[in-house]
Amino acid sequence: MLDELCINISNRLNTGILIVDRHYNIIMWNRFLEVHANKSDNKVIGKSIFTVFPELPKKWFERKLSSVVQLKTQSFCGWEQRHHLFELSHSRPITTDSHFMAQNCTFLPVEVEGEVERICILIEDVTDVCHYQSQLNKALQELALSNRIDGLTQAFNRKHWEECLAKEFSRARRYKHDLALLMLDLDHFKLLNDTFGHQGGDLVLIETAKKIDKLLRMGDLFGRYGGEEFAVILPNTDLEGAEEVAERIRQSIAKNTIDYNQKIISVTASIGVAIIDSNDTRYEDLISNADLALYQAKAAGRNRVCLAKEVATI
Amino acid sequence: MSTNVLICDDSNLARKQVLRSLPENLSKNAQLATNGEEALAILRTQDIDVLFLDLTMPVIDGLGVLQTMKDESIKLPVFVISADVQPEMQSRVLDLGAAAFLRKPVQLNTLTENLQLHGFL
Amino acid sequence: MSTFELNEDQQDCLQELINVAMGQASDQLARYLDTFVYLKVPSIEPVNSEQLFETLNQDLKAAAVVSQGFFGYEGIRGEALLMYQPQDSHRLADLLGYEAGEMTFDEQIIDLSSILTTTFLNVFASQIDNQMSYSAPRLLSANNAKVSEHLNQQSFNWDLALKVKISYQVTDYSFNCDMVLLIPEEAINNIKAVIDRILEDF
Repeated sequence: MLDELCINISNRLNTGILIVDRHYNIIMWNRFLEVHANKSDNKVIGKSIFTVFPELPKKWFERKLSSVVQLKTQSFCGWEQRHHLFELSHSRPITTDSHFMAQNCTFLPVEVEGEVERICILIEDVTDVCHYQSQLNKALQELALSNRIDGLTQAFNRKHWEECLAKEFSRARRYKHDLALLMLDLDHFKLLNDTFGHQGGDLVLIETAKKIDKLLRMGDLFGRYGGEEFAVILPNTDLEGAEEVAERIRQSIAKNTIDYNQKIISVTASIGVAIIDSNDTRYEDLISNADLALYQAKAAGRNRVCLAKEVATI
Repeated sequence: MSTNVLICDDSNLARKQVLRSLPENLSKNAQLATNGEEALAILRTQDIDVLFLDLTMPVIDGLGVLQTMKDESIKLPVFVISADVQPEMQSRVLDLGAAAFLRKPVQLNTLTENLQLHGFL
Repeated sequence: MSTFELNEDQQDCLQELINVAMGQASDQLARYLDTFVYLKVPSIEPVNSEQLFETLNQDLKAAAVVSQGFFGYEGIRGEALLMYQPQDSHRLADLLGYEAGEMTFDEQIIDLSSILTTTFLNVFASQIDNQMSYSAPRLLSANNAKVSEHLNQQSFNWDLALKVKISYQVTDYSFNCDMVLLIPEEAINNIKAVIDRILEDF
């Protein structure tokens, strides 16, 4: 009576139940597995589990079951480590991208008079969990990226860029490496905005950022510092090298023309260059020095590069 | 003539467990040691007839006690009572001259059996 | 939050229960791994929830942390955290008897943790006339923030952490591992009651 009830319940469970003996022969399985494996009872009961499920990693599986028998304790196999053991169809074939049911498997020892004679394998369908977890991971990655990126120009945003600078600054001080900083401001940008509208201005920012990005090396860190102000961290770069990069950027921007509503927009930039020096104790000092040089470039007539060293000697 | 018993275990509970399992004529004169060093000091200076010895202990462990007893020719029956029940450990202990290996927590009947076997009861 | 203190006798009794559990667990482990496990006296210290983070912070240079929940009768339940040192993490597959490439590092460390936790707690439980069930073991990244985040998200408020430092020295593969059992208040009281029952017998 109770047996019948148990069989009835086990056949309605949404969990697979599979019982094998110590020679890996299948003694019993429930309806859940019959349906999802799409095999009939007579081809399964009494047969070796490796014949019925040839996809099982045989050696691994035998070692796993031997631990259950010997240690008389349960063992697990989760989807995060192995997506699935048994190739079973799942109930979300359309909404998920995995072909087989993601599974959490539990191997339980079934003791008869103190000896493990049988092993009960519980197979839970975690396809949904797996699916949502991978979507969540993707969303988290995107979120992490969007926290660092300026939406308009795709350069780093100010917050992230400053964090990078703080790191590079302390690294350069500790290891006595060179470190250079470029502060770049587009010339007469307000006028440009007034002439072409904000959409035109935005396009200039986007195109200019693209140009700058192309000229940089791996390891250089490019950010949007303010409205029309950009900043570039150049690790392991001395003043001469930084001036070269700045000059290349200036020329490239000056040469560039941007099509906007059948009009041609051209723009120039002023750039201030500074390098870390032993007097700088905070990364903000480096920004101030580069800012001073940028101010100098503006004052000297724009569309030029000024070095902080020259500023200091004036 | 009374039998002098020494019980060596770092656990108070384990010492009491052994003490409680002993018949009165053995327990009344029992001495206690909390590590191997203490046990060896007693063994060197006093007449001990039987030793109950734990293995996993600080300072000097049970194997160390057995080895030292062998080196110094201190001869008396030693009953090792340990939680470390690995077969290799059991054979090591017996090789070093222990009279028997008893698993923790010690059971009254196994202790009695072994004491009878060695003529203490 | 109640402060949890064990008196000398209770501590001694708990230590002995754990010694016996470790002894039998390592015997099973040794037979399973076909090797000899050298046992050192395990260090056991009860730490309250405020202290745990301090002690964990020192330990969290660990290469991996695996968590597994356990639950028995009479409200005895909690969570076991197993922490491994980076220098001990290689050659685990060798130790566990799996072929190279058969298992990822994550899977190996989860497998070993599950064996250590369940064999240990099974014996511990049987000594206090209890029986344990276990949840699936999970690998937490060995990263301070992740582990403390995990501890904060637990389904129960634990008051006591029992820090059991187990050093398994397996012939040829010496490695250390710390087991931390996090136990909620009602379970502590229950364990205490069991300890007192044992002590009363003497």
